[in-house]
Amino acid sequence: MLSSRRQFLNATGLALGTVAFPSWVLDSDAAEATAVNKDRWADIAISSARKIGATYADIRINRYRFESVATREKQVQQVARTQSFGFGVRVLWKGTWGFAATHTVTDDEVRRVTRQAVDIARANSISQRKPVALVPAAKVVASWKSSFQKDPFEVKLDDKIQFLLKINETAMKVKGVSFVDSSILFVNEQKFFASSDGSRIEQYLIRSAPDFNVTAVDSARADFQQRRSLGGPQQMGYEYVETYPWMNEAEQAANEAVEKLKAKPVEPGRYDLVLHPTHLMLTIHESVGHSTELDRALGWEADFAGTSFLAPDQTGHFKFGSKIVNFFGDRTQPQGLATIGYDDDGVPAQRWFLVREGVFVDWQTTRELAGLMGRKSSFGCCHADSWGSVPFPRMPNVSLEPAKDPISMEDLISDVKNGILIYGNGSFSIDQQRYNFQFGGQTFWEIKNGKKRSMMRDVAYQSRTPDFWSACDGIGGQATYEVHGALNDGKGEPMQTNAVSHGCPVARFRQISVLNTATQRS
Amino acid sequence: MLLTEKAARTLSAKVLSLVKADDAEVSLESESYSQCRFAANAITTSGQREDIRLRLTLWINKKKGSASSNQIDDASLRSLVEQSEQFARLSPVDPEYLPTLARQQYKPVQGYVEATANISLASRAKAIDRVIALGEKEKVLCAGFHQARGTAGAHATKNGNFYFSRSSLVSLSVTARLPEAAGSGYFLRNHFDVAKLDTARIARESIQKALRSRDPRPFEPGRYTVVLEPQAVADLLGSFAFSFDARAADEGRSPLSSPGGKTKLGERIFDERISLYTDPWHPELPGSQAAQDGLPAQKFYLVRNGILENLIYSRFWAKQKQKEATPGPVNSIMESSVTPVSLEEMIQDTKKGLLVGRFWYIRSVDPRTALVTGLTRDGVWYIENGNVIHPVRNFRFNQSLLQLLASGNVDLVGAPERVGSSEAQGGNPVLFPPLKVKEFHFTSQSEAV
Repeated sequence: MLSSRRQFLNATGLALGTVAFPSWVLDSDAAEATAVNKDRWADIAISSARKIGATYADIRINRYRFESVATREKQVQQVARTQSFGFGVRVLWKGTWGFAATHTVTDDEVRRVTRQAVDIARANSISQRKPVALVPAAKVVASWKSSFQKDPFEVKLDDKIQFLLKINETAMKVKGVSFVDSSILFVNEQKFFASSDGSRIEQYLIRSAPDFNVTAVDSARADFQQRRSLGGPQQMGYEYVETYPWMNEAEQAANEAVEKLKAKPVEPGRYDLVLHPTHLMLTIHESVGHSTELDRALGWEADFAGTSFLAPDQTGHFKFGSKIVNFFGDRTQPQGLATIGYDDDGVPAQRWFLVREGVFVDWQTTRELAGLMGRKSSFGCCHADSWGSVPFPRMPNVSLEPAKDPISMEDLISDVKNGILIYGNGSFSIDQQRYNFQFGGQTFWEIKNGKKRSMMRDVAYQSRTPDFWSACDGIGGQATYEVHGALNDGKGEPMQTNAVSHGCPVARFRQISVLNTATQRS
Repeated sequence: MLLTEKAARTLSAKVLSLVKADDAEVSLESESYSQCRFAANAITTSGQREDIRLRLTLWINKKKGSASSNQIDDASLRSLVEQSEQFARLSPVDPEYLPTLARQQYKPVQGYVEATANISLASRAKAIDRVIALGEKEKVLCAGFHQARGTAGAHATKNGNFYFSRSSLVSLSVTARLPEAAGSGYFLRNHFDVAKLDTARIARESIQKALRSRDPRPFEPGRYTVVLEPQAVADLLGSFAFSFDARAADEGRSPLSSPGGKTKLGERIFDERISLYTDPWHPELPGSQAAQDGLPAQKFYLVRNGILENLIYSRFWAKQKQKEATPGPVNSIMESSVTPVSLEEMIQDTKKGLLVGRFWYIRSVDPRTALVTGLTRDGVWYIENGNVIHPVRNFRFNQSLLQLLASGNVDLVGAPERVGSSEAQGGNPVLFPPLKVKEFHFTSQSEAV
């Protein structure tokens, strides 16, 4: 039986105030010392790099903090804090990149690591056919903080535990629910960037990621169904935990997990799809976000993440989708996980069109990539996931513009004779050029003659990116627009993660191929 | 700089000496990592990193707290202990708490080579330059990734256990692409000894595959006999050995669950020739000397001759079910009980089928049947009457892994080779064989090259 909040407080002594919440006390001392030294370390790195022949150098001195709590049913499985601090120096030596990093941050190590970065560039320069050139970037001396109201690292642990256990309790009350796992992760990035162009930038980011997954098991048939939370991570503070209707969703998810066990299996065939923003964000991520990365189109990711069906010579005229489709890259979007003040090249955050009225018009670029397209400036898409990772091109928030008219989800459904409404992310997979994809979801609802009907199961759809977006004939208005994202977008070698969001309204797609995942018929 | 055993012992003892909690364990891992990427026949990025990870988990009145950091000065260690202890005080009782292990005896594993951990920048640059030069000579565009890692770490408990371990890993993958995206080939290998990584072979194989994949023809999706190279088998099944969790099976949420709340333990789940096992001391694929919570790792079978022989019991779940906790797996080896058949013989034995070299973007679709979806990548070829006839376009597949390996579907099994999943960038080495299976379900075409 779940202990009450009072029982828990008494057991931990919190009610008597005998145990203080663990702060990052010593870290704050360290942070203060670090702040004093950062400029000196930057001076050492940049002057050392110049002295040994580097034509460009930057240093990132970063601290990452993570706090996580994981629970299942009535028990707490893990409470943990992690932090990582260190620096990385990047140099250009005769047009070849070099990078080195360490967790030991001292004057001597900054000198040694800077030399090491140049040594790496020098060794690799034997294979350099064309020197790397960077487009200009304005000198920036600034600090930036992501938007949040309540720093989650200052909230009591007890509140976080009780929040998760309450989700579990709410879901487990629903008859037929077998298991609930829930977790919460808070991320804080404290980033310092200095470059030989004179920039000095401090940034402070907060992200919050509550999550839960409800499982209903029919052991007689060895069947089980799951329903994961639709909320997802946001670039917000603890106010996200306090304002999103988590308990309502936990109850709804529990009912839906049970309902899924008895839902009607989908009959394979072609359907009109109405895709809710909680689902559509991932389709945008995979088919639009990654295909418009210029490094992929140039073959730089050919060995792992892949290339793109788009090529530089298609810029400005390739028909990406129907006329109502407009996508933009945006590092300024409120709550967007990839929203920043400045990228890891020191370039300010921007908003720009990638696809306009169905035509592919522009790329995601860094200072290195922009010049290769003949551009004079970067869109600011350079990012490294750690002080120890090499900065490289990463996706900004890529979002679909809502319709100017107040079109609702019901309006889109009303014009569907035989379709499926999909919520949430399920299985996802796409080929290395971002053509052929297959997506599942969390819940599927039959649409018949303009009305949402009962739940379906075992649904996945397959399509080809330009065909899919050309089949888009309905886009919801601003009232249906939502921003959802993921913390774990993987790319690069070694693989780095990127937190990124995709804003979108509900949208409709005509005659998309649907398969039944249980029978594997299509 | 990697930790020496003496330094690791001193550091873990220092942390434990600061701990006032009832029980605690410290995990330490120092890492030296070096990488170089190239694409379009030129080096793109390259870097080196040194780091350390120190994780402390402790229990006060069976309440757990955990913290980790990469800073190991005295103030940071005190902070780590303080945070862990305060977290433990604030946490509810951990009903799955089991005391940390007392002193254990470990049989050492030899999986560390100094020359791998401290890779020579000049030698690596020359090796990559030779790959690029071969690509230029054959008029293909080479992209690839070379990484070398050394780790040294320790695990210590308040109850007296301690072990120190070191490992190394080097890998090279090369994707060779024909101009105008007319074809593509891929090859990846890894080893713990840099002297045994045949970079010339990796370059040659990837380029040859690219040249043989020129202008693939469209082919109708459907169910086909396939010959899978070891790389393709590793891509599909590389992490499969780690999904045999007993608790999930007992709780009815695993493909190894059976109706009526039972599991498939003791049942035939694979073809009778196939065994899947772990062996920490395999000379070609050394694993870790320690499994979960520091239990001394052992060799054992998950599947022997097609029969599910073991599920993986955590220490907690083993106690609940009155079983022994499972000492692994710490690596993954698949082999045949009959004389292995070579890849060439598999092709010669195929009347009509497809040869697949690599799979990509594999994701679970239906966990009840271990159904996964994904795509072929970097080369698929049509086989007719024992000969490779022509390249074909890529496919999307939807395939149950249990059906793939089931009795009646496996035709031929080869000798295992050291490979690694391409989605894991070669970082999860396995010993897997080539396979010929009678039916593999391709559900749509992909025009991607």
